Amino acid sequence: MEMPQYDPNTKPEFELYTIPSHSSWFRWDDIHETERTALKEFFDGSSISRTPKIYKEYRDFMINKYREEPSRRLTFTQVRKSLVGDVSLLHKVFRLLDEWGLINFGAVSRGDDSDNRDSSLGDTELKNQVKIEEGAPNGVRVVALPNSLKPISVPNSGADGSGNGKVVVAGETGVKLPPLTSYLDVFGDLVKLKGFKCGSCGEQCNSGCYEYSKGSFVICEKCFKNGNYGEDKSKDDFRFSDLGGNSLTHGATWTEAETLLLLESVMRHGDNWELVAQNVPTKSKLDCISKLIELPFGEFMMGSAHEMNSSSCPTGSLNSLKEGQSASSENQNDVKMEDQVHDQMNESEQNGDAATEEPPAKRKRIAPLSDGGSSLIKQVAHISTMVGPHVTAAAAEAAVAALCNESSYPREIFDGDEDYLANGLLSPTMVSDPERALQVDASKMEENQSETQDASSEKNDVPLNLRIRTATATALGAAAANAKLLADQEDREIEHLVAIIIETQMKKLHSKINYFDDLELIMEKEYNEMMQLKECLVEERIDVLERALKTGVSKWRS
Amino acid sequence: MKLPATSSSKAPVKFRMPTEDNLVPIRLDIETEGQRYKDAFTWNPSDPDSEVVVFAKRTVRDLKLPPQFITQIAQSIQTQLTEFRSYEGQDMYTAEKIVPIKLDLRVNHTLIKDHFLWDLNNYESDPEEFARTFCNDMGIEDPEVGPAVAFAIREQLYESVASAREIKISKKGRRGAEHAISSKGGGNALDLMKLFRYNSSVVRKRKEWYVYEPIVDILSNEEVDALEAREDRNTR
Repeated sequence: MEMPQYDPNTKPEFELYTIPSHSSWFRWDDIHETERTALKEFFDGSSISRTPKIYKEYRDFMINKYREEPSRRLTFTQVRKSLVGDVSLLHKVFRLLDEWGLINFGAVSRGDDSDNRDSSLGDTELKNQVKIEEGAPNGVRVVALPNSLKPISVPNSGADGSGNGKVVVAGETGVKLPPLTSYLDVFGDLVKLKGFKCGSCGEQCNSGCYEYSKGSFVICEKCFKNGNYGEDKSKDDFRFSDLGGNSLTHGATWTEAETLLLLESVMRHGDNWELVAQNVPTKSKLDCISKLIELPFGEFMMGSAHEMNSSSCPTGSLNSLKEGQSASSENQNDVKMEDQVHDQMNESEQNGDAATEEPPAKRKRIAPLSDGGSSLIKQVAHISTMVGPHVTAAAAEAAVAALCNESSYPREIFDGDEDYLANGLLSPTMVSDPERALQVDASKMEENQSETQDASSEKNDVPLNLRIRTATATALGAAAANAKLLADQEDREIEHLVAIIIETQMKKLHSKINYFDDLELIMEKEYNEMMQLKECLVEERIDVLERALKTGVSKWRS
Repeated sequence: MKLPATSSSKAPVKFRMPTEDNLVPIRLDIETEGQRYKDAFTWNPSDPDSEVVVFAKRTVRDLKLPPQFITQIAQSIQTQLTEFRSYEGQDMYTAEKIVPIKLDLRVNHTLIKDHFLWDLNNYESDPEEFARTFCNDMGIEDPEVGPAVAFAIREQLYESVASAREIKISKKGRRGAEHAISSKGGGNALDLMKLFRYNSSVVRKRKEWYVYEPIVDILSNEEVDALEAREDRNTR
């Protein structure tokens, strides 16, 4: 705590300002060694524009200017207009005061201190240096559409659990994204906004809506037919407007097929964005570039595109990239299940008309979904749309069966009147080897079904809703458990990294301490030498005096 | 015993930009076949000259200019570099000299007017750092503004040292540092004696603050179009 000396007639009471304890050498009416060494230009007498008096004036002005309003951060531009002198030199003084906390100590810190200055010891180093950025990096603003200048802010889902330093982008509200966010989670609202929401029933009006001509009210077709026009509105006031489907394929939404096209054309054409944009028909050049950057491995693509231009199989490399992602592990499970289902399908005639499906020998190489940005559920949905309906049904059965084995409740719902003995047999086999149990289970299901096909067709109607619900619930549960595992892993990694950082800091401090110890030793030695020298001199002096007295010199000058 | 500092006690330095990085400001304004290419950037004179052609080719390719531009760009850059190099052999005057720098430039939608002092003799000065601080403090988001500000500063510094050198050559006969100070490009250098006198303050009077305060304006599209049209008319 440091109290400035104010005239008694200007301020009746003392104001208290906080400066860090390592700056307690500071005095208003004096210039400290720290300042002298840091700003030698003022103290070596090399110029009349740089004297201690001038330095003191600069310093006092800056500190007083800051203290007029301690909560706001004083910028260099605000002070330099009031001081005469070279701006580079003024900036040096400003930086010195800033680093030592004599100004801007209590102010809101700005986030874009991108130059990692070596702050003086004891300054809030850790807070400044260990910055883990969340959200968009500095200099990149997240906008709703490419080419629009309006930044959007993410609805704060309160995911501050990691407890690390948050970075606020200069000037505007920080775009803080919680970790493990997928693109659609954050921007799903924007995608939906492009469609219209019905004013009376609150649902999406996808194909067409009725617009109220006297205001901005929109209702969907259903409500229009039902007569739900809303208050005080009559049928004639509504106009039909067909949205078509073109609002959905706007610049911001990328479908899987387009992403795939983009990646293939980048592999082939590399840097030539004109050709890439031509190949991806609905997207402009800028869209392509920005989408590629957004993809998690987009950078690799742009670099490797040059190397792999001559490689034979672009999809092969895409596949390898895809498999490297952890999110796709479940995908592979689905793929495997589908392959097994193929086999089973042709072993038993399940629904009678299985002959139309692909023969088992041809293992269809499913086009890779290399878009890691979309959510898992969406990928599964995409796979199911790519194959025929019967295969999808079989895959769904198999998936449900796999999930069933993890908990017995859904099992009971699905096979209501089966003997529970079979249940008890099946559940223990599940735990370790899902695939084998899957086969066994699926074939068992098929047998049961072919036996009780008539009976089951009757039962199907009643618990259909329940079945769907339980299936989705278990699917979501499995996904959630997996996500938690991943999150735990990330946490552990973060802890590990933080421990490493702390260790290195400790080492740094240790080496500094050692250095200072060495310095002390050297100083001690020098001190001893000086003492010896002093003794020598004293001896010599005594010697001289003795001789002078001996020869009886009465008057001697010292 | 007031000697006006050690203005002549420093050994003369070979000509170079009076900043920490010895970068030369290069300005291009080429018009061919109805297309006009204007640009401004800094160049490192210690780069080999072969880089000039490479740079010209890359620029033409990136901006999709007609190929005639390549030779013209390369020539223009080379001329400016040669001029700089012709100064390099000579000594540079190393007395302290504080010059006022005025900024008056427009970058895309941002208009900047500013006025501050710069010490020509401070070889550790850094226009890029100044530009960065400026953009941060004023909250400018356009990333092209910073380099443009730094370039404007560099250009003015270059002009000052180049003209100072010419004056020195023409006044070879005179002796004494004091003479040179007062006869150096008259209005440019500030009279250090007057400004930094013992009994005067280096804090400006409040009413003068607005003179040295930066003004940053964000223009609308129409204003930008109007200004561009006016600039084109002026330069033709």
